[in-house]
Amino acid sequence: MHLDSAQERMLRGEMGEARQFAMEIASKVGDAVGADQLVPIKSAHVLAHYSSLHDAGVEVLERFAGAGGKFAVPTSVDPASIDLQNWRSFGIPESYATQQFRLCDAYARMGGMRCWTCAQYQVCNFPKEGEVVAWAESSAVVFANSVLGSRSNKITAGMDVACAVLGLTPQFGMLLDENRRARVSFRLSLKGLTDLDFRSIGFFIGRTAGARVPALLGLPNSVTSDQIKHLGAAAAAAGPVTMIHFPGITPGSKTVSEAAGGERVEEVEITRAALGEIEADLNQTSELPDLVAFGVPHLSANELGELARMLEGRKLKGGVRMYAYTSSQAYDMAERTGISETIEQAGARISQSTDAEISPLKALGFDTVLTNSAKLAEIVSSEGEVSVGYASQREIIDRVTS
Amino acid sequence: MNPSLMKGKGLVMGTARGEALVSTMAFTFAHGVDPSTGVVTDVRSDVRGKNVKGKILFYPFGKGSTTASSWFLETVRLGNNPVALVTEGADLSAVIGSVMAKIVYGREIPVVAGIARTAFARLKSGTYVTLDGVRGEVRASR
Repeated sequence: MHLDSAQERMLRGEMGEARQFAMEIASKVGDAVGADQLVPIKSAHVLAHYSSLHDAGVEVLERFAGAGGKFAVPTSVDPASIDLQNWRSFGIPESYATQQFRLCDAYARMGGMRCWTCAQYQVCNFPKEGEVVAWAESSAVVFANSVLGSRSNKITAGMDVACAVLGLTPQFGMLLDENRRARVSFRLSLKGLTDLDFRSIGFFIGRTAGARVPALLGLPNSVTSDQIKHLGAAAAAAGPVTMIHFPGITPGSKTVSEAAGGERVEEVEITRAALGEIEADLNQTSELPDLVAFGVPHLSANELGELARMLEGRKLKGGVRMYAYTSSQAYDMAERTGISETIEQAGARISQSTDAEISPLKALGFDTVLTNSAKLAEIVSSEGEVSVGYASQREIIDRVTS
Repeated sequence: MNPSLMKGKGLVMGTARGEALVSTMAFTFAHGVDPSTGVVTDVRSDVRGKNVKGKILFYPFGKGSTTASSWFLETVRLGNNPVALVTEGADLSAVIGSVMAKIVYGREIPVVAGIARTAFARLKSGTYVTLDGVRGEVRASR
């Protein structure tokens, strides 16, 4: 990969230790992926949650911050592993919180925006069509590429901070037109889609597409950005998907043919039977859960409102907790509009700035989780410690409330 | 063609030798490998229960969370990492994890991509493999 003279100076350490560390990472990764050059980014999104970064990640972020590293572009951050406001009342052990706060502190010292969310594109980080960004968070990368028409690779931990410090990212993968073309087309003709269907459709696409960029035809006109958020998150949880062309929604992809650059691609019909198989695979238990989790990725204020309406006048059964995970911004809005009150009256809670899949669920004493999130179901069963049920929001509420 | 030689593209340089651990399904270290032991926990993995430590790990492509590189780095910090990775499609998490391992912990974990799943699927887990990350060559003893 070619470095210009300023970048060479960074690599030699002439522009500070943090930039040198960042350039060392970015140039090696750029070489590995066959990039020709580093290109400027408009924003970054990084990871700073203890459950996935572990002690190694604390070392890395503190090394950046300790060397005086500052983010060169607006930078947002994925949820923390604890509710940063109310962690004690959620039963988080002090020692665990301490490690998370080390990450928070290093991140803040580097000048990041303190909106701890995995749906930053609904809250604090809004790239435009055509803009290059370097985002971590697989679900957000799908949204950026597929809905906003901006360009991001799925930048993973370590490299995310390097890109943010440099304001640069290697030019490869989803930054290049030829890699963004659809190579398989999914067709949906099912009607009356539930919240669960959108997730199962995404999961099916992620599993079936493999390394090919998919297109999806047949979403209803009423589809919301929240539904697309969950569909994309499920797809990215199931496979290496970083973009889905939605003809009519994705900028530059009015038709499948346009999405595919004029080439003919394989077509796959999404059948009810296929979705049934995904549900059966993700739903590993029908036991009464000890935790119901909504919001992987984070619920929007609208979705919190919808949940409140479904919970109105109901009461959670004994022994079951229900957490709705969201950003601090949506949490505040729910507080101001009475949504929180309705949710709490039913015995449920809103948890802000963290999310279920990066919480220490086992350590908090949860053995069975029930969710409508395919991403959460996939992740929880991957860890193999907690059993998981997968059902629609309506069905879950009917099962766990009276 | 020599059936024991597979040629791909070296993404991260270095050489390695060890037993093969072969998965033919999408693979992730994020929530899928326990860094404190190296054991694969993912229920959807065909190598669940196997240990990646000291192995040359084969899988077609990555999946899931962008945290995979930090889960990988933690297995390196704790000394439970595979000694090399071989994939079909380039797995950015593997590349970044391996680059970080070298810079942060001085550990060389070469990555070779571009070897078709159909080629390495015939390889039995436990086969002794040598890998050259510069030439992109993976050689299995018979």
